[in-house]
Parts: sequence; C-alpha cells; structure tokens
Amino acid sequence: MPGSLHMSRLRNWFLASPPAEYAITSLKELLIGAIQQGPVPQHVAFVMDGNRRFARSHGIETVEGHNLGFEALARILEVCYKSGVKVVTIYAFSIENFKRSKFEVDALMEMAKVKLSQMAQHGDLLDRYGAKVRVLGRLDMLKPDVLEAVNKAVDMTSRNGDRVLNICFPYTSRDEITSAIRDTVEDYSTPIEQGRTASRTPFSESHIAHNIRTQSLGSTTPDLHSDSESTSGSSGQDDDAFPRNDSDRIYGSMSSCSSSTTLHLGNQQDPKGVSPPRSVAGSDSPVYVSPETISRQTLNDHMLTKGTPPLDILIRTSGVERLSDFMLWQTHENTEIVFLNVMWPEFDLWHFLPVMLGWQRRISKSRQDPNAEGNFAGDAKSSQENPDAMLWRQGGKVKDI
Amino acid sequence: MVSQRDREILRDDLRARGTKLSVAEREALLKSYLPDPAELGQKPTPQPIVSERKTPRKTPIRTFLKSQTHYLTYALTHIIFGIVVRLLQAYHAVVDRIFAIVYHHHRTPELIRKDVKNLKRLPQHLSTILTLRKEDDSLAVLMDEVAELAAWSSCSGIPQLSIYEKSGVLKSCIPALHQIITTKLASYYGTPSHQPNLQLYAPHHPVHRSAPLTTNPTLTILLLSSTDGRETLVDLTKTLAEMSQNGKLSPEDITPELVDAEISEITTQPLSMDPTLSDTVLKPEPDLLLVFGPFLKLDGYPPWQLRLTEMYCTGGRSHGLSGDGEAVEYQGYMRGLWHFAGAQMRFGR
Repeated sequence: MPGSLHMSRLRNWFLASPPAEYAITSLKELLIGAIQQGPVPQHVAFVMDGNRRFARSHGIETVEGHNLGFEALARILEVCYKSGVKVVTIYAFSIENFKRSKFEVDALMEMAKVKLSQMAQHGDLLDRYGAKVRVLGRLDMLKPDVLEAVNKAVDMTSRNGDRVLNICFPYTSRDEITSAIRDTVEDYSTPIEQGRTASRTPFSESHIAHNIRTQSLGSTTPDLHSDSESTSGSSGQDDDAFPRNDSDRIYGSMSSCSSSTTLHLGNQQDPKGVSPPRSVAGSDSPVYVSPETISRQTLNDHMLTKGTPPLDILIRTSGVERLSDFMLWQTHENTEIVFLNVMWPEFDLWHFLPVMLGWQRRISKSRQDPNAEGNFAGDAKSSQENPDAMLWRQGGKVKDI
Repeated sequence: MVSQRDREILRDDLRARGTKLSVAEREALLKSYLPDPAELGQKPTPQPIVSERKTPRKTPIRTFLKSQTHYLTYALTHIIFGIVVRLLQAYHAVVDRIFAIVYHHHRTPELIRKDVKNLKRLPQHLSTILTLRKEDDSLAVLMDEVAELAAWSSCSGIPQLSIYEKSGVLKSCIPALHQIITTKLASYYGTPSHQPNLQLYAPHHPVHRSAPLTTNPTLTILLLSSTDGRETLVDLTKTLAEMSQNGKLSPEDITPELVDAEISEITTQPLSMDPTLSDTVLKPEPDLLLVFGPFLKLDGYPPWQLRLTEMYCTGGRSHGLSGDGEAVEYQGYMRGLWHFAGAQMRFGR
C-alpha cells in the first residue's frame, strides 16, 4: 500500500508540474475545439450524484466532498460552454434532500449562498460572457438569506445572452409538473375580455339559451330572473353558459360526476356571491378559453424550463441508474440518458468526451440516413451544421475503407 | 484547466466562507482562465478591457490553421472512437452469444426459476420498451416478443409486466395477443392446470383474462403507448381546467398527491373495479425498466411513473448502432434482472 500511495503522490507531483499542466490544458483545448466541429447538443443536464460517497471512500468530510463537487461542476461547465452547449441544467438539491442531516443541509445552503453572492460580486464579468443563471424549483422552501442571494444572482444575470445555467435548487420533477398543471388551470380560469370572444364565436351561446328558454316558457319572462337564481348552484345550469365542443362531453360527464361525489363540499363552501352574478345576466357571464386548446406545448410552456431547447443528453454519475424525480417531463422522447460509474467530484472531460462523441456519431448517422432508428424528427438545428454532416460522411468513407 | 496553486488558493477561500480573498483578488486570479471575449462571437465588447490581446486577432493564417487543426482532430477522434466502438461491439456480441448459449431457457420454467433463485431481489413490476420494426411481419414478431416476455416473467416470479410500444398497435389486438400469450404459456408450462392466470389490459380498455380462475399465481400485463404519457397529463389538465372554470375546484387543490392518484388510477382502474381481484395490489410505478434498444432513450414513455424506476438498456454497453431495436433475448432479460439485484435502493438520492 505505501508503494501505491507513493506512486500516486509522484503522479500528482508530475501532473502539477508546469509543463504537464500546460500539455493537459492544450490537449483539452484541442479536444473542445474538435467537438465544436460536429453537431453539438443544445441542452445537457447533469445529476451531480456521488459527492457523499466520494467523501466517504476518500476519508474526508461530507462538506469537503460537496466542495470538490462544486469544482467538478465548474470544470464541466467550462467544457460545455466552450464547446457550444447553450443550456446546462444541474440537479443541485432535491426537495427530498431536506430530509438529510441538518448539518449537511445547512452546509449546502451556506455553500450555495457564498457561491451565488460571489457570482453577484462579479457582475461585469458575467455580463461580458453573457451567461444567464436561473434557479428552478420551490424557492419558497429556502431560508430568507439564501433566497436573497438567489434573487440577486438571478436578477443580475437576467439580461445576459444566450448561455443559460439552470440550477434546480429545491426541485422535484413531480412538483414541477404539478405546478405546471396548476398554473395552466389558473390561466384558463381567468375570464377573457368580451371583445376577444366576439371574434371567436359570432353568436353568444348564453343568449341563444336565453332565447330558447323564453320561447319554451312562453310568456314567463319575468319569472326567468328568479328561476335562474334558484338553480344557479347546479352544474347543469352552469354548463349551458359555457362554450364547449362535442368532445367535451366525455370529460363533462366525468367532471360533473366527480364533483358531485368528491368535491361537493367545496362547492357548498363556495360563497353564494360568486355564482349569482354569473347567471343573473347572460351577457355578463365570464367567458373562458376552451380547455380543449390545452396541448402538450401549453404544458411545456408552463414548465420551469420553458424557453430552453429540448433536452439532448442527461448524465447521471455515481452509477445509480434512475432519474430520482429529475426532468421527468423533459427527458421524454429523444433524450439520451447516460449513467456513468464515476463519482461526481471525479467527473471531467475524459468521462464526458465519450458521451459527446457517441451522441455526435449517432446524430451524424441519423442525418445521413433519416429512416434509421434514432432519427431526430426535430432537426430544426441551424443549417450551418449540415456541411459538417456532409464532411462527416467523407470521414465515414475513410473509415469504411 | 486550473493550476494546482490557484486551486489551493480558491479552496482556502471557500473554507473561509469566501472571506479570505477580496473581489479584486479573485478576479485577478480568474483572469488568466477566461477566454478572450472577442472569440465568443458576442456583441462587440468595449475594447480597452482587453488591450493586451490585440495581436492574435490580426492573424488570419493562424486562425485558419487553428480551425483546420480542430477539424482534423475532430475527424481523427471520431475515426478512433468509431474503431473502438466497433471493437467493443464485436466483443460484446461474442459475450452475448456465449451468454445466450450458457443461459438458455429451453422453455422450462424450472430452469428460469433456477436462474433467478440466487438474486437478492426481483422487481414486482417490470416494464419494457419494445419497438415495432419495419418489416412486413413486424406485428407478429412484436406479439411473439410480448408472449416470450410474459412467459419469462411468469416463470421468474414477476407478477406484473407492462409493455410500452410507441404506436399503440398492440392495444388494437388485445384478444389476438391474449391468445398468443396463452399458447406460449402452454408451451412452457404444459397443461392448463399449471399455467398462471393471465390478465391483459390497456388503459381505457376492459380486462381480458383467461376464463377459469385457478389458484395459480396471476400474471398481469399492461399495454402502454405514447398516448398514455404526456397526452394523459394534458387530458388531466383539460379536465381540471374545465372543473376550475365551472367553479368546482380551486387551483390550490391541485397537489402532487392528486395528480398521482389520478394518473395511477388510469393504469390500475379496470382491476380495482373488479371485486374478485381485490387482493391483487398493482404498483403503478415500475421497479425496473428494460429498454430493448441500442441506447437508453424513453421514446415517449409515460413520464410520471418513472420517478424511482431503475433503468437498464440491453444494448447500452457498446453505444450500439445496429439500426433497429435490439432483439428481445432471454440473456438480455436476465442481465437486466441481475443488474437490478446488484443495485441498492436508496430514496432521496
């Protein structure tokens, strides 16, 4: 054992010597420049797993392991942004992590605070390189001082350019999806102005309903007022007042059924004051956007990652092979998921490079042969990458020989 | 790359909670590692900041040589990488063949049971992603693969199996598939009295099951397609939005628990309504996801259920590029189960 320890010390000494350091740096620069020549993923996500196990196996403090993990992050961010990745998303802290020991949570929070406030101090540097920091997650679960540092860093960089670092801070994907659903529902529950609906449907449905009712009731027009008031609580009356398509019926029956069973209480509690103004005068009833217009894109736009390109590669270190509630929605169709058997503090260009090359190889192949498996339908990449694919075809020929 | 000396300085600073270095000192330390802003192709930056590095921009030959070097390196790396990948593929192909000979099921439940006997744990709910090929008989091949998987799962004691196929073609032929699986089970188990009870269903479809219920263990097969993924979440949102518009629900009521309950119900609904099967508890979240494909991609698999699912890709070891989805083979299935047994389950990362 002493021999190997001695050897590793010798190796470290050698690697730290100026010529070796210079050689490694130039080699890295060269490789990064080389990666840039091919197609480059637009959005890469990392699960930074293994800091604690690394610390345990190396006999250092857990907190120190997290510090080393932060260095690894800085290293890999440099590689990503230099090679042309636009968006990097990292899983920094899960909502589940609050269950860990208070000491560790506090240390992690402290580290985040220090790093974020340091970042804010270098505002002009960040401006010059145009990186934008966004923090995704349940910010309301943070302590006030950390939240302040977060807001400061986010504000400071919000005007910056096209490189984005998404930090998923207290985050779980299920929480994100739920919030997206909730926000969508909220959006669709705010009435739109009358002016806009007029263009959508030339006739007012409530007006037609009103006319029919007047006809069927004959000369009981004065009664109508009290009639509608008495039935205002029932859902049948409400439904008449809203624009809906035929396909709505399926959900209509479902929702009315569930409301009568499970949500009856909620309906009762609803103050009477809300419904009468809605049904007293037909023309004043609120008009909503039809829920049928909700699509996958709508939900996408309500996710925390809105506005970023689709996720191309997701990398998880430490050999644990599950997503652990990270990017469930985003890791959907063509994301390549890679599980690497290294601890995060050891993660470097040398582990990232094979993943990148494999991805480039696959993309180039699928562009050559669009019918092949793994064809990326959304090839809306810039046209300047096409020459690369052509050139790569020549490379492929060379290899075939 | 940050040099050893600067790294130590930064580490010391971090240990002191960022109090050791002043802002200016830290910037001076960083300066040598920052790329020239002009190279980033950003908006023109104020010139005086980088006055000392004006000369390299005036050398088109050097820039040209640099880009050519990069291109050459790119081609070289990819050629070398390609060769390595091919070699690995060949190696794994040989290993796979050896495995396939050593571990063959011979359609004997006892052999399969022996293979899984020493495993520490088995998934209670196994999920697989299968791909429909492009040949004419692709549907028949796919159904046969499903039948094989059903037989292996039942023999190795996995009570629940879900099959994901993107297009959903399997859902349209549930009775035929049921017939094929029954035939396959018969070829493994022999007489019907030894066969497990089979129930086959898909979301929004009725359960299709073998008629006489015996005391044998039950195998439940769920068919999924891409419409059960994001589309289901969209449908749920539509329903919730409509309820909210009608004042039956307030947006604050939407919690992860509610969404979870609704989504889980879709995959377990037909069974929970059946009083005779009240004892079979279905897990909506799979324990293990086997991807029969060249690399690990989810291809539209329902996202909500995958939270803690272990994933294993049968072709994932070699960056395989064999074109179509990998064949569903017994040795790949077994490798997945072994891998699963070796992993340790930890919640909250």
